[in-house]
Amino acid sequence: MKKRRNFEINFSIVRRVMWYVISIAGSCIMLLPFLWMVSTSFKMENEIFTVPISWLPQQITFQNYTRALEVVPIFTCMLNTVIIAVPKILGEVFVSALVAFGFARFEFKGRNAMFMIMLATMMLPYEVTMIPTFMAWSALGFADSYVPLTLPAFCGSASYIFFLKMYFETVPRDYEEAAWIDGASNLRVFRMVFLPLAKPALITICLWSFMGTWNDLLGQLIYIDSQSKYTVQLALASFSSMTGETLWGPLMAASFMALIPVIVLLLYAQKYFMEGVKMGGIKG
Amino acid sequence: MKGKMVIRFGLVVGLLMLFLAGCGRGNEDKTTFTFATWAAGTELSEFQEIIDKVNEEAGGAYRIEVLSIPSDYYVKISTKIAAKKCPDFFWLTQELISKYAQMGVLADITEAFENSETLTPDMYYDGVVSSAQYDGSYWGLPWIANPMILYCNKDMFRELGVKLPTEDDDWTWQEFIDTCRQFSGKEYKGNTVYGTVIDGWPNIETFIWAGGGDIIAEDGQQIILNSAEAKKGMGYLQTIVKENLSPRYAEVASLGDNNVWFEKQRVAMYFGGIQDNFEKKVSEMSADEQFEIAYAPMPVCDDGGAWSFDWTASTVMAKSLEGNELAYEILETVTKAFFEWKVAPPVKDSLENVIQIDPNKEGAMKTIEYTMPYARSANYIPEWSDINDKLWYNLYVSLLNDASFDYQGKMDEIKEYSEGLVKERK
Amino acid sequence: MKKKRQRAGFYFVLPWLIGLCVFTALPMVAAVYISMTDWDIVGNADFVGLKNYITLFSTAEFVRSLWVTVRYAVIAVPLIIATSMTIAVLVSKNYRGAGVFRVIYYMPAIVSGVAVAIVFKWILDPSYGLLNGILSFFHIQGPDWLYDPNWVLPSYLIMAVWGAGGGLLTYLAALKDIPEELYGAAMIDGAGTFQKVWYITVPLMTPIIFYNLVLGIIGAFRKFTDAYVLGGAGKEGNFYMVYLYEEAFAHYRMGYATALAWVLFAIILLLTFVVNWTKKYWVYSE
Repeated sequence: MKKRRNFEINFSIVRRVMWYVISIAGSCIMLLPFLWMVSTSFKMENEIFTVPISWLPQQITFQNYTRALEVVPIFTCMLNTVIIAVPKILGEVFVSALVAFGFARFEFKGRNAMFMIMLATMMLPYEVTMIPTFMAWSALGFADSYVPLTLPAFCGSASYIFFLKMYFETVPRDYEEAAWIDGASNLRVFRMVFLPLAKPALITICLWSFMGTWNDLLGQLIYIDSQSKYTVQLALASFSSMTGETLWGPLMAASFMALIPVIVLLLYAQKYFMEGVKMGGIKG
Repeated sequence: MKGKMVIRFGLVVGLLMLFLAGCGRGNEDKTTFTFATWAAGTELSEFQEIIDKVNEEAGGAYRIEVLSIPSDYYVKISTKIAAKKCPDFFWLTQELISKYAQMGVLADITEAFENSETLTPDMYYDGVVSSAQYDGSYWGLPWIANPMILYCNKDMFRELGVKLPTEDDDWTWQEFIDTCRQFSGKEYKGNTVYGTVIDGWPNIETFIWAGGGDIIAEDGQQIILNSAEAKKGMGYLQTIVKENLSPRYAEVASLGDNNVWFEKQRVAMYFGGIQDNFEKKVSEMSADEQFEIAYAPMPVCDDGGAWSFDWTASTVMAKSLEGNELAYEILETVTKAFFEWKVAPPVKDSLENVIQIDPNKEGAMKTIEYTMPYARSANYIPEWSDINDKLWYNLYVSLLNDASFDYQGKMDEIKEYSEGLVKERK
Repeated sequence: MKKKRQRAGFYFVLPWLIGLCVFTALPMVAAVYISMTDWDIVGNADFVGLKNYITLFSTAEFVRSLWVTVRYAVIAVPLIIATSMTIAVLVSKNYRGAGVFRVIYYMPAIVSGVAVAIVFKWILDPSYGLLNGILSFFHIQGPDWLYDPNWVLPSYLIMAVWGAGGGLLTYLAALKDIPEELYGAAMIDGAGTFQKVWYITVPLMTPIIFYNLVLGIIGAFRKFTDAYVLGGAGKEGNFYMVYLYEEAFAHYRMGYATALAWVLFAIILLLTFVVNWTKKYWVYSE
C-alpha cells in the first residue's frame, strides 16, 4: 500500500515535468513569428534581412519606434478602433447570446430552417457581397462613417450564435425546468441561469469580437476615408505603400505596439476561460 | 396570430429602414474635388503638402480633398466607382489605363491636353506619354517616370578584375551576359557572388524587347509575341538561367527581396528603377559594409534602342468631369506640382529637378540622361491582366525553374490565347 | 402553456431575423443577380443568364483551384481539430504557469495573417529556412517547400497545424464544464489518461467539435490570406478564394467571381448538411 503511493507521487512528478517540457517546446514554436516581430522592431534596417535569419538584434535601437510614431498616430488609431469595438462587443455578445438561447432552448415553428439559413449566411464569401453592401450604405449617405461597421453587430453574429447555441445545448434541462416551475419568465431564466453558466463562452466571444475589430482591414478600408478616423489596421497598412518600399522596422514596431493591448486583454481574460462555474451553486 | 406577427415584424423592419434613410446626408458642392492616392504614411504627408500648396494658390477658386487608400488600392477605387462615388481625380498605373478607359469611367482629355498652353504631349518623353494613350485618345497625365538602369558594385568589379561598363555605355545584351559570366563561381567577402539577380524582376517585357521584339503591336490588336525577335530576347533570359548567372529562383526569396542581394554585395549588377535609394541605404551602413555604386544604362536591344522599362503612373479624371475646364486646370496644376516631387519628372528639360529632389542621384545623372529617351512601357490593352498572368506563370516562372523549358512553343501558345481574348473584346 | 412558452423562442431570435432582412438578405439577393451578369465592377452589367456557371465548369483553373482546396480541406480540417483539442487538454491542467501557456498557444490567432505569412516564408525557405536547417541537423535533405509543386500542400498543412491554437478557446470553454466527479469516478475505476480523454472528455466535447467541424470546413474552403501572400509553385497555392479574389479584383470579372462564390456556397452548404445529418449519431446532447 505504501509502496504504491510512492510510485504514484513519482509518477505525478514525472508527468508534471513532461507536461512542462512539452508545453515549453510547443510554446517556442508558437512564439516564432511573434519573436521575429519583436526582435525586428529593435533592429537596425540593414540587419532585418540576413542569412541565416538573425533572431536577436546585434545592436538594440529604438529608432523604429520613434519613426513609427512619426509616420502614423498609432495611439489615436487605437483609440478609434476601441470606439468601434466597444459598441460592437456589446451588441454582438449580448444579442448573440439572446438569439442562441432562442435557438437552443425553444422549439418554435421554423427553428431548424432558420438555423440552417443562419449557417448558410456564413458560407457566401464576403468579397462578393462587399460591394453591394457598400453601395447600399453609401446610397443611405453613410460614407466615411463607423455606423456600417457597428450597427449590424446589434443583430448578432452568425458564428457567435452558433457557438453559444452549441454551448447552451449542453446545459442540463433540469436547470431551467426548475426555474420555470418557480414561475420565472424566459428572460429571467436567460439572465439568472444561462448567462452566468456561459461566462467562459461569453468572455471568449468578447475576445473574438474585439480581435475581429482589431484585425479587420478590408471592411475598415472600404468604409473609412478620413485619416482622422483611421484604425489600427489602416495605420499598419500605411507602412507599405504601393510604390514606396515597406518600412519593415517601423512596421514591426507599430505592430508590436498594436499587439500589446490584445495580449494584456488576453492575459487578463484567460483565467476566466477556465473558471469553473460550480454546478451546484446556481440559484433559480 | 401568425399574420399579426408578420405585420409586426414588417413594421419593425420598415421603421429601421426609415431610420437609416433619415440619417443620409446631402450632396457636396462643385468646387470641391476629391483626389484619391495610394500614398500613405510619410509619402502621404509629402503629397498632402503639395495639395495644400495648390489649394492655397487657388485662392478659393477650388479645393482639393485628399483620399488616401493605404492598402488594396484598386479594390477600394472600383468599389467607390461602383457606388457612384468615383473620386474626381485618382492615380492609375500604366497597365490599367486601357482597362479603365474601356470600361468607360475615365474622362477623355485629348482635346484639352493637345491644346494646352503649358503642358502638351510633346513636352513629355514619347515612351512615357504613350502610356496614357489608348484607342487614339489620352486618358490621363503621367506624373512620374521611373525607368530601369543598372546599379553596379564598383568595389566588386575592381576586386574581381572585371571591366566596369561606363555610365553611358552602348553595350549590348551579349556584352551584359559576358560581364555576368566573369563573376560566375567567384567569391567576394566570403560569399559566392553572381553577376545579377533575376527572379521575375526585371519583368518579361525587358527580355522580349532585348531581342528587338514586343508583346502587343502598336495597333493594340495584333499579338506579336511569337516573332523571332521576341524569342531571341527570351533566349537571353534562358542563357542567364542555364549558366546560373543569377542565384537560383528558389534561393532569391531567402533574402527577403531581390534588391537585398545587391545591398548585401552578393550580386555585382542590379536592375533598378532610377528612383531606388541604394545611395542612401549604403551611406547608412557601417563602414565595413559600405561600397561604391557605379551606374550603367540598360544594354542596347537588337533593334538598336537601349529600351528601359519605365514604371509610370498617370493622374486620371472621372468620366463625369469630361469637358470640365476647371477640373482640367486642376489636373494640370497638380501634375506640374508633382514634377518637383518624384524622380523622375516625365517631361523633357527637367533633369535639374532630379538633383533638387534627390541630391544622392548626382553620380547617376549621366546614366539617367542617357536613359530617359528610351523609357517606355508595353502597349497595354484591356486584356493585359490575363495575358500577363499567362506570361508570368506559364512562361517566365517555368523558364526560371527549368532552363530547358520549351519557351518558344509556349510563346506561340500564349500568342494564340491572347488573340482569342482580343477577338472577344466588346 | 408549454406550447406558448416554446413559441417565445421566436422573439429571442427576432433580432437576428431583423438583421438578416435588413443587412444580409439584400446583398445576397444582389449577389444572385450579379452572378448572372458580366459586371466588371466599374462599368455596366449586362444580363448573361447562366453563362458564368457554364463557363466556370469548363475552366481548367476552376477545377484546379477547387482540387487544391479540397485536398487541403480533407486533411487540414481533422488535423486542426485533433491538434487544437490536444493543446486544449494540455493547457487545461491547473499547473503553475498554465495560464501563460494558454495565452501563448492562442497567439497564432491574434498575430495578423500577413505577419505570420512572412515569417513562414523564412521558416520554409529551401536554402536558409529554419525547418530545413533542423532537418539537415538530422542529415535529411529538406525539400524546396513552397517552390516545389509537390510540397506546397504539406507547407500549408504545417502552417495550419501551427495555427491550430486559434480554436483553443472554444475547447477550453467546453472543457471546464466537464464535472470533476466524472474524472474522480474514472480514477476509481483505474482508467488511464488516454482512456479518460477518450471516454469522458471527447464525448462531452462533441457539441464543440461539431461547431469546430462546421466552421473548420467553412474556413478551409475560404482559405485566403496566407495563400494570397505566399502563393506556391505550379499554382499549387492557388486556393479557390485566391482564384475568386483575382478574378474579381485583378481581372474585373465580378459576375464570374460571384458565380464562383455561389458554387463555393453550394459545396459548403452540402457538406454542412451532411455533417448536420450525422450529428445525431455522435454529438452529445442533453
